[in-house]
Amino acid sequence: MTLGLYTAGDSWLHRLFPITKLIFSLSAIAIIFGGPNKWLSAILPGVISILILWSAGIAWRALKLIVQLLTPIAVILFIVHGFFGPANHQILMRLGPFVLGQEGLMYASLIVVRLVSTLASSLLLVTSTHPGSLIQALEQTGLSRKLVYLLGSPLLLLPQMARRIQTIRSAQQSRGLETQGNLLQRIKALFPLVAPLVFSALVDVEERSLALEVRGFSAPTPKTNLTEIPDTTKQQVLRWGMIVIAVCFLVFEFWRKRNGYD
Amino acid sequence: MVMIEVTGLTYYYPLSHTPALKEINLQIEAGQFVAVIGANGAGKSTLCLVLSGLIPTLFNGRMLGNVTINSMNTRNHTPGEFAGRVGLVLQNPTNQISEMRYTVFEEVAFGLENLGVSPSEMPERIEHVLRLTGLIDLRDRSPFTLSGGQRQRLALASMLVLDPPVLVLDEPTAMLDPQGSREVFHIIQTLTTKNTTVVITEHNLEWIAQTADRVIALNKGSIVLDGNPEFVLTSPLLETFGIDYLRYTQAARESQIYGLWPSQTPLPVTLEQSVLGFNRVSSIKKGGG
Repeated sequence: MTLGLYTAGDSWLHRLFPITKLIFSLSAIAIIFGGPNKWLSAILPGVISILILWSAGIAWRALKLIVQLLTPIAVILFIVHGFFGPANHQILMRLGPFVLGQEGLMYASLIVVRLVSTLASSLLLVTSTHPGSLIQALEQTGLSRKLVYLLGSPLLLLPQMARRIQTIRSAQQSRGLETQGNLLQRIKALFPLVAPLVFSALVDVEERSLALEVRGFSAPTPKTNLTEIPDTTKQQVLRWGMIVIAVCFLVFEFWRKRNGYD
Repeated sequence: MVMIEVTGLTYYYPLSHTPALKEINLQIEAGQFVAVIGANGAGKSTLCLVLSGLIPTLFNGRMLGNVTINSMNTRNHTPGEFAGRVGLVLQNPTNQISEMRYTVFEEVAFGLENLGVSPSEMPERIEHVLRLTGLIDLRDRSPFTLSGGQRQRLALASMLVLDPPVLVLDEPTAMLDPQGSREVFHIIQTLTTKNTTVVITEHNLEWIAQTADRVIALNKGSIVLDGNPEFVLTSPLLETFGIDYLRYTQAARESQIYGLWPSQTPLPVTLEQSVLGFNRVSSIKKGGG
């Protein structure tokens, strides 16, 4: 079963305490953008994430999502930076009045690699963690239920939005709206899809908040949990280890730059 | 014992100059099963929000008058304080699922967790309501794999597990197919034996006629009829408020014109009353012939 990006399973990654995965994702992102060797820092967390996803049997879905999401962005980045990059000096190719520069291509490649790694390390968390489990784990850390819901709501909104888009698209298609075809046709179809999506989402948000209220979401009582998500001392050590490594990398990079080693 | 007391209630939604509810005065006894009927825009859903304690605190509208639920004035208490004391079931079953829990069982537990119920007490209470709502075999399923009717039963179970003395239902079958509606009606009917005060807005007048102790008709935000189902559902004024008669009542009304329903016999609101009435007419005609 899938819920938004989450894929159900019983792998070691699925069983891991959600906060451990969250800390891994955040540490990886910090290193990707702030690590000392920019290429190594960009590539390594992504490779590790994909290997972990592969060992959990959900790498294929994650890679498919990465390709789907990043292909258009990568194409745009390569065109913009390759042909119009301000640092372009080494010319690789001429296409009429346009010049493809090596520096621009390298810069675009670095951004794409960073995006792939960021997405891979984020997907490690969201594809193996039910949004409810992440929310419950955050609650177990002592955060207030309201704050946790606020943090987790983007994950909860994704599947709702996907379901609603599907319903609206089917309804509009049955009334003759062309959602396939060339770019112009797709742009034309956007408004009849987006307008009902936004309005229905607003109505749903109100209903959802009412439903939460009557179920005691803001009741002035201490909260309990039917079940506790198990955490282990090993994972606690691992989390602190990841935080320390990420902080060390960031501090080292900051020191290097400050002392003119870059 | 009066469970709900509404005095001089007028309510305006934010930015509106027309009241959604106008001069409502109402007393509902504990254990009473009250159905609220009315055309679209009559104020039924607003009344449900008022009787759940969500208006005025959660909405920025203007409220005149007072509403007391189980001796708690809605002006002085937050919706969180009413949780567990008043339950509310809305039309759309999907919007009532918290999405924060993985299985049906855990979803029902969500409200109990919010109210700080001891985890050791939860399983028994949850299993009880899952049996009551016929969801016990689906306890380990994800709420998203359920049908519309099953989801609405889950929404009901999530409320019933809190054991609220008052349950407000705002057109709980509006989005369900006939089978789903029958399942939900069946569960609500069981509440009549539990001394739960039930307020329900519903378009299925046939079911209301069989189940409700009292029917309130709303029109343009005001109470226009209030009494037992026989009185309200056969009122000559009903159609002027945009509410259709039951087919049994309509048949008897038409028959009256042709002398086929005695004018002194009350109009029927159930199939049984209708059959009895027409049998009586038939036997009189046979006896006379």
